Amino acid sequence: MILVPITYKGGVFRHDEIVDLIEDLGGYIIQKHMIAQEVVIQAIVPKDDIELIQKIGKPLTGDVTPSPLVGTEIAVVSMSLEIHHLPHASCDLAEYIRRSGAKSNMVGLSRGFGKRISQMNDEERDVINEHDCAVYLFGNFETCIEYKIPVLRRGITVPIIVCGAPSRERLIEIINPPVAGYVGHVGRFMHRTKESEEISVLDDVIAEVTRVLDEKREEIAKDPLSVSPARLMDLIHEQVQEIHEVTSPTPVTVQIAGLRVKLPYDFFAEKIRDIIVEEGILLRKIADILPSRMRDYILIRIHPFSESNLLL
Amino acid sequence: MLSIEYFQVECYDETGREYYEQLAEVVLLDHNMLRVVHKLHIFIDPRIPIFVATGVTKTIHSHITVNDFANVQIEGGKVTIAIGEETYLSELLRILWEKFGKDHVDQPDRFTIILNLTKEEAQKIADMVVVDPSENLYRDLIYALQVIAPEGFKVRRQYYGKERFYYIASENTLTESADVLIREKFALMGESL
Repeated sequence: MILVPITYKGGVFRHDEIVDLIEDLGGYIIQKHMIAQEVVIQAIVPKDDIELIQKIGKPLTGDVTPSPLVGTEIAVVSMSLEIHHLPHASCDLAEYIRRSGAKSNMVGLSRGFGKRISQMNDEERDVINEHDCAVYLFGNFETCIEYKIPVLRRGITVPIIVCGAPSRERLIEIINPPVAGYVGHVGRFMHRTKESEEISVLDDVIAEVTRVLDEKREEIAKDPLSVSPARLMDLIHEQVQEIHEVTSPTPVTVQIAGLRVKLPYDFFAEKIRDIIVEEGILLRKIADILPSRMRDYILIRIHPFSESNLLL
Repeated sequence: MLSIEYFQVECYDETGREYYEQLAEVVLLDHNMLRVVHKLHIFIDPRIPIFVATGVTKTIHSHITVNDFANVQIEGGKVTIAIGEETYLSELLRILWEKFGKDHVDQPDRFTIILNLTKEEAQKIADMVVVDPSENLYRDLIYALQVIAPEGFKVRRQYYGKERFYYIASENTLTESADVLIREKFALMGESL
């Protein structure tokens, strides 16, 4: 059964039927938003059943669209949190990525600005490494980008997508060794992106992020994970009741190869380790339960099949 | 940019130059600086790195008096001020409180102020200067330039006076050659410091 990420948008009325349907089909609901009378469900569903969901959703004014970024967590790295870089372009981009289904987090570097003086500290590096990929928002000059990228990529293990004002070709030329993705014509600007040309540049970013993450997924498919992160999310919801009291919009954030659980590590790490995945198999056997550097959250890294010899 | 007589961004990197031109336009517009700036020349060289903005401002005469934003009615010694534009109300109240004391400034509702004054004092109220825009003007202008300049350029020097201003910023110490650069850029606009 191939699971694909989708977004369902429809009316609140009888939307629980869609929720039940997705669960009955063997899919997983990653996130559900209720905005006034509209409901937005991000889910992973069996590929063959998309038509069925569309058919059942139609009388409920439901609409199903494929969202390749559902089930990923992306870091949007802004060079600082000053007015120079916020809210445009960082927030515009973070919001656009969120619309396409990903969970985007903004990482504002404390000293990322400038050319010679640009720096990144260990906390920032570790937080970025907890994501599936990092989108770096650079400025307008290729000299500066060329000069500062070695400092800002040091220690980063996740794929990096570089955005900057120079064209994509120039970015490819000046960055050595290469990074995972490049998007040109996204420099520092101070107005809201609303023109169609600007929106199309944001679409380019999404396309590049999707391409990079697809490559990562393919890589993982060669040595599959012991358990799917979406399934593990369901198990956490079933077995750790405290998760229902967390007020954060995504108490359990699904990543490509893991999960972020927004419960304090000190109190809940053992409980998470003792989650029964299948009869006789506890989560501690197939995943690392680590303290996250983001607040006191818990980070779950699922082992691949080659490590655990289990495929559940 | 129509209302600025001379506006130029100079940089060897064409992409960066275009971005900064657009950025400067947006920032000046957002900070309401187009009515103030007469000429502006921006020079950026990220290789050094240095950012220089030089310019000339327009002469701003208009002081804002009570008459400009309120209607003043005088009946004997009783002055009734009906506020039309609330923007300057707090500044007016501050002046009135300072001058006559809080007890003598009656504000029955948000848009009405009643004062009991001598006839002489009452006559002066309508033409009283409430705000002098030039006071904050240069501060706002320098702030706008700071927003335009790259954030990392923390070593900076600024000047304003005699309708001339400049803002120079870099990551490195500013040497004497910075003065030469500033004069050069003023000369490009056909002005001198």
